[in-house]
Amino acid sequence: MNPAVGFAAFIAVSLATAAIGFYGLRISRTTGDFYVASRTVKPWWNASAIGGEYLSAASFLGVAGLILLSGTDALWFPVGYTAGYLMLLLFVAAPLRRSGAYTIPDFTEARLDSKAVRRVTSFVVVAVGWLYIVPQLHGAALTIRITTGLPSWLGSVAVVVVVCLTVVAGGMRSITFVQAFQYWLKLTALAVPVVFVLLALAGNGVPAVSQPGTNPTSLPAAGAYQNISLMVALLFGTLGLPHVLVRFYTNPDGRSARRTTLIVLGLLSVFYLFPTASGLVGRVFAPELARNGQADALVLLLPGRLVGGTAGELLSALVVAGAFAAFLSTTSGLVVSLAGVISQDLLGSSVRGFRLAALLAAVVPLGFAFLTDSFALAGSVGLVFAFTASTICPVLLLGIWWRGLTDAGAITGMVTGALLCGGAMVTGTVLGAASAPGWLAQPAAWTVPTAFAVMVLVSLATKNRVSPSAGRIMSRLHIPERPVATERSPR
Amino acid sequence: MTRVRVTGPRSTAASASGRLARPLEIGEDSDVGRVFVRSLIRSQLRLAVVIASGFLLILVSFALLLALVPGLADSRLFGIPFDWVLLGVGIYPVIGLSAWLYNRAAARNEARYRDLVEDK
Repeated sequence: MNPAVGFAAFIAVSLATAAIGFYGLRISRTTGDFYVASRTVKPWWNASAIGGEYLSAASFLGVAGLILLSGTDALWFPVGYTAGYLMLLLFVAAPLRRSGAYTIPDFTEARLDSKAVRRVTSFVVVAVGWLYIVPQLHGAALTIRITTGLPSWLGSVAVVVVVCLTVVAGGMRSITFVQAFQYWLKLTALAVPVVFVLLALAGNGVPAVSQPGTNPTSLPAAGAYQNISLMVALLFGTLGLPHVLVRFYTNPDGRSARRTTLIVLGLLSVFYLFPTASGLVGRVFAPELARNGQADALVLLLPGRLVGGTAGELLSALVVAGAFAAFLSTTSGLVVSLAGVISQDLLGSSVRGFRLAALLAAVVPLGFAFLTDSFALAGSVGLVFAFTASTICPVLLLGIWWRGLTDAGAITGMVTGALLCGGAMVTGTVLGAASAPGWLAQPAAWTVPTAFAVMVLVSLATKNRVSPSAGRIMSRLHIPERPVATERSPR
Repeated sequence: MTRVRVTGPRSTAASASGRLARPLEIGEDSDVGRVFVRSLIRSQLRLAVVIASGFLLILVSFALLLALVPGLADSRLFGIPFDWVLLGVGIYPVIGLSAWLYNRAAARNEARYRDLVEDK
């Protein structure tokens, strides 16, 4: 690929992000502005913003790459990423909005009336955030190497620098329309090249799909256990992601939180058609990418290979821009929510504390990214989902739906889930992807039920510790808001 | 240009949101109120569990269909293998439909609660 294309796309996206960040700094000026603006956001904007923040390197590059590697087994990934939002809608969306909490530690502290729970939740949230940023940086490293030929580490460093600059300067915060714009940029950047590739293939008279069944890597197919465990992780991991909750707060009430989630489901469904199509085309026309370890670069390389010429280069530039939009938007969303948690709980709530926290939030995962290797992006993000599903998901679900949850139960459950799932992840990494047994490679199927069981049993054993305000908070979570005057009354 | 960081106690956030739409604060004031709230929570939970189980059943049946019906995975729809159509496209409308049904039913539960509270 022509290196100039990669440079131009990266610089354009970085400048646009920084510019919108600084512009946003000027419009969100006071605390009042912040809240007023956040309560007048329309569901469509809000849903686009959630989509923009959620669709990360794993979705943009990883899904197509994994489909290229393992075929129909990988189709469960986009299904799980989308259906996770269905679970979020069913069990979490409206009650969490009504809780008035802005972060997950805020919620657990209010619900269980315990500072200790807050501290443990904060640690877990920071761990999740760090783990989730690492694959974004791997994606950036891969993209820089493939598109410009520069050393990989430059890509990770560039993303961290741009994110730190915009976050520390105050941009990218509460600016719904930046993230909303990112969704549509990512969708366009993926959809337009796919359509052109398909047109080019149809024009060449190649039968649209000849043999997608061929297995380019001769990897063994995942067993039933692996697929089930993956679905547990993805279905129950989404509702604990720290940067997702913040977005729900910008809905005016519980009902619009539900409507927003419904739109998010539509947006994600449309988006995932395109990585799926890319993966299918790649399996037929570019299977050699799977063999030389460039599967995750499939989306980037496809237009250049199958369209070619100036059109191919323009399309490549578009995809590279979309990829960087994915790394930047997810990373900055995570850095902002992590910095909030770190500064509030560890460094004190000052502007300096927040800036220091933002640096910490971004630089630590950069270290991880240097130390570890990128295997499959979608796979490593899948493990992060397993971790949230074993820690944050039980405390949210039980906190929202079960009066009997106690602070002791919440803490032991989260710690158990974190140790089991974290232990499985570390052991799996040490053993290597090839030799780790299936139950270590996909731990969610046993770590999630164990975390739930521990949380319930310890809560039952410590019944006297149920917070006296539990009943009041539960009512607050579930009672519908008084209808606003402008809203049509139901029926 | 002044910049203000949004920090401080959560009560600020709660009261800011309360100005627009305040929850119907009847909940724990009386025994009757408590019964109403508990039955609202129970009916919402039952609804969520029913929809989630229905969706998971469909998901599992898709997987079993492909695994157990011989030749189905290799048959083609518009030139694309059937398993790709089912998993890559066919599941998404099911997700959307489940979500839509849930939203309607959850709003109905809340309307019923509201009627009960206002009749009292």
